[in-house]
Amino acid sequence: MGYSERYGNLGLKGTNASALEKDIGPEQFPINEHYFGLVNFGNTCYCNSVLQALYFCRPFRENVLSYKAQQKKKENLLTCLADLFHSIATQKKKVGVIPPKKFISRLRKENDLFDNYMQQDAHEFLNYLLNTIADILQEEKKQEKQNGKLKNGNMNEAEENNKQELTWVHEIFQGTLTNETRCLNCETVSSKDEDFLDLSVDVEQNTSITHCLRDFSNTETLCSEQKYYCETCCSKQEAQKRMRVKKLPMILALHLKRFKYMEQLHRYTKLSYRVVFPLELRLFNTSGDAVNLDRMYDLVAVVVHCGSGPNRGHYITIVKSHGFWLLFDDDIVEKIDAQAIEEFYGLTSDISKNSESGYILFYQSRE
Amino acid sequence: MNEIKTQFTTREGLYKLLSHSEYSRPNRVPFNSQGSNPVRVSFVNVNDQSGNGDRLCFNVGRELYFYIYKGVRKGNENLNSSLSTTKRGSCVVEKSRPVVTEMVFRSSGELKSKGADLQKCSRWASYTGLQAADLSKPIDKRIYKGTQPTCHDFNHLTATAESVSLLVGFSAGQVQLIDPIKKETSKLFNEERLIDKSRVTCVKWVPGSESLFLVAHSSGNMYLYNVEHTCGTTAPHYQLLKQGESFAVHTCKSKSTRNPLLKWTVGEGALNEFAFSPDGKFLACVSQDGFLRVFNFDSVELHGTMKSYFGGLLCVCWSPDGKYIVTGGEDDLVTVWSFVDCRVIARGHGHKSWVSVVAFDPYTTSVEESDPMEFSGSDEDFQDLHFGRDRANSTQSRLSKRNSTDSRPVSVTYRFGSVGQDTQLCLWDLTEDILFPHQPLSRARTHTNVMNATSPPAGSGGANPGSNGNSITTPGNSVPPPLPRSNSLPHSAVSNAGSKSSVMDGAIASGVSKFATLSLHDRKERHHEKDHKRNHSMGHISSKSSDKLNLVTKTKTDPAKTLGTPLCPRMEDVPLLEPLICKKIAHERLTVLIFLEDCIVTACQEGFICTWARPGKVVSFNP
Repeated sequence: MGYSERYGNLGLKGTNASALEKDIGPEQFPINEHYFGLVNFGNTCYCNSVLQALYFCRPFRENVLSYKAQQKKKENLLTCLADLFHSIATQKKKVGVIPPKKFISRLRKENDLFDNYMQQDAHEFLNYLLNTIADILQEEKKQEKQNGKLKNGNMNEAEENNKQELTWVHEIFQGTLTNETRCLNCETVSSKDEDFLDLSVDVEQNTSITHCLRDFSNTETLCSEQKYYCETCCSKQEAQKRMRVKKLPMILALHLKRFKYMEQLHRYTKLSYRVVFPLELRLFNTSGDAVNLDRMYDLVAVVVHCGSGPNRGHYITIVKSHGFWLLFDDDIVEKIDAQAIEEFYGLTSDISKNSESGYILFYQSRE
Repeated sequence: MNEIKTQFTTREGLYKLLSHSEYSRPNRVPFNSQGSNPVRVSFVNVNDQSGNGDRLCFNVGRELYFYIYKGVRKGNENLNSSLSTTKRGSCVVEKSRPVVTEMVFRSSGELKSKGADLQKCSRWASYTGLQAADLSKPIDKRIYKGTQPTCHDFNHLTATAESVSLLVGFSAGQVQLIDPIKKETSKLFNEERLIDKSRVTCVKWVPGSESLFLVAHSSGNMYLYNVEHTCGTTAPHYQLLKQGESFAVHTCKSKSTRNPLLKWTVGEGALNEFAFSPDGKFLACVSQDGFLRVFNFDSVELHGTMKSYFGGLLCVCWSPDGKYIVTGGEDDLVTVWSFVDCRVIARGHGHKSWVSVVAFDPYTTSVEESDPMEFSGSDEDFQDLHFGRDRANSTQSRLSKRNSTDSRPVSVTYRFGSVGQDTQLCLWDLTEDILFPHQPLSRARTHTNVMNATSPPAGSGGANPGSNGNSITTPGNSVPPPLPRSNSLPHSAVSNAGSKSSVMDGAIASGVSKFATLSLHDRKERHHEKDHKRNHSMGHISSKSSDKLNLVTKTKTDPAKTLGTPLCPRMEDVPLLEPLICKKIAHERLTVLIFLEDCIVTACQEGFICTWARPGKVVSFNP
């Protein structure tokens, strides 16, 4: 599987592309925008779906394209991604299909995990991609600094190494969680900040993403074996812990933990629960000292998992572009009604595991 | 924790699910609801002599059912009253002719309708006390092809034992007028889909009218129809009547009068629900763009707006006295908005998902004595003074009955409920401290003086000094009053107002009958003048001055900039309510919540309509 199961065959490719153009209408078709499907190289829909979602996260796309515009570099995963995005953005046609061949082979070369024809987890791939890009950018910054240092020769080296350079990946996706622990004995509150590029939240049947996020920040009591070592009491104590968002990212990526390891079955099963997600979102689980705690987010992309398990099934992506919604299913792109999004909330029946349900949500800050 | 509740307790007592009054499709099998339209329920009282004239209508998938509603009654009572022929244990033959209606779209979009008898005759089984409702014998059943029923509304003015007028809206935009007692399809509107092709989201008779109705669509448009007029054979041409911020109203340009009479365009995205104020003068609309917009329906003027915390607003309702509006939406919150002040006075968090229905409980909205200490110093506050006057009026009969020698103020508590996609029912109390805060919250303080001249739509203020219990006996009352929502039976309030106090706590009962009385009286008076107005030209609309609008705070409705303004206060700037109860009561998401006198009715997307007997209303096994 992994190949388009929704439409059966690829024979429709040509007609589909022109149908999309007709569907949007020549007057309505946004200037300088391109809607290109990505060829599946054998179970690479996990990759295609994430790439499409990221392409329609505008700040991310713009940074990747301007990276491409920089001077020629040695090939890495980011240069391959930049080439792919550049290739989409500079197509003569407005719609069509592109093979992301160079990117896929680079990915397989760089990481053993992806060096096979197995279906992979889209969230794992997103995580890998963002971290890899951040590493590449950080490395480049370091190189630049070192080059500069060689010329000037009077920088404080210790200070430099302690400070991790923030890249545009961090500027776009990084938020901060604050982990507050209150010792139930001495009432001392200690807090520790933690950065994240995306949030993984547990899902429950018939809930909203808002509720899942509230749940994520619910107070948890650490007791019995999980007791907390309190610095003030100098001993293990019962404590209350909660995690709240302290700095909100520009793009909030939310991963719904739909794959759960079943002890009895010795394998992962899919939670097809119906979890609704609104087109507009604010967070309730922010800490009091957050600066931008009530910023409004708009849904811009959703990676959808279709099927029954993490290593089987299919990934597709829906994105919002210039006010309308598009569905990217590997090489197929079609315009969908905003109301059709409700098909991707999940199932209310617990019997069926097989669903087309939202897996990674991308919310972009309005300000 | 995830167990489904069959009863719950509030301070007024135990509410109990009545298994003998469960309605569903005849096979009682859960309906596979993925991707279908919400199940909705409408009630009507056909006002027959027997005392049980309650009928219900509900849609499940492509089917529409019409049954006698037993409510909290025992089976035999139901039988006696509805057929008025027999005693318990005997056998009655009743003709039941479910109709299959085909609404099939041809390529041209043409809609064809035909009826066919499914069953010729059927036999009522011998009845015992608490037997479940006989679902195999709907009075009427319709199955649609090509389009699905999405919503419906009975005309409470015209309902009789022989005939009812039921409007049904459909997923492809059409509206049908049917009579499920006569089993007739009287009329089809927007049959050719020339007026609007999008899903009908809400259909309601205009309060006080036998012929006018309003239809909202997911296109964001709303149309006023008259059942007497045709829809024409061509697409309507519109002429702008009135335009305001984020809304426009057009009239239909045509030589002969045709439908639609008016086209309202409201906000952006789908118009999810609308509700008329108890006096029928104002219209509250909630939209996918997250806005509540309240209009003066006759003058087509915007009275006020509110923005959700985030996401679309899905449902809306009015308090029985018209002073408050509650909305529910995709922020998982219920929001209470003051009609007079045009501001958010509270939000409520209890649902784990989107809120699909909100409704006030007019029978538990009460007037109670309060601790006099609570009111010390309130004279200094302009807001309290103002409300104090309103309050005294709205509780007039209560005061005169129980408190005539005592000048102590009384406290008001509003009860409302909400159901959501989380399969939970929440009940909420709006109490004195929320309604009339002694210390307005920091940011709210500056708005307490922008009280404008607009009176609450139910007219419960000083404008109705004549409102008292006597109005129940005025001759005009043979006609039942229209209801703002199909969520309560008007007759139960009217016919039982004198005898109900035996069951309920005295204080609550008098407060309750007060509400029923007041709004009824008010409606009656208005009814006559409106008939005159509404059946004539719309000329009065444009000539009317918009002075009133200037009194209302005019705020830019850029959604990104609304936070922290009166349109959408920050979370910390308004009180956050906690639900009185919050119970999981179904497997599937809930789509219906209706407060009746004896019970609460809920329904879920699986197509089960449940009756929850109010405290003291549970029927015993042996009469």
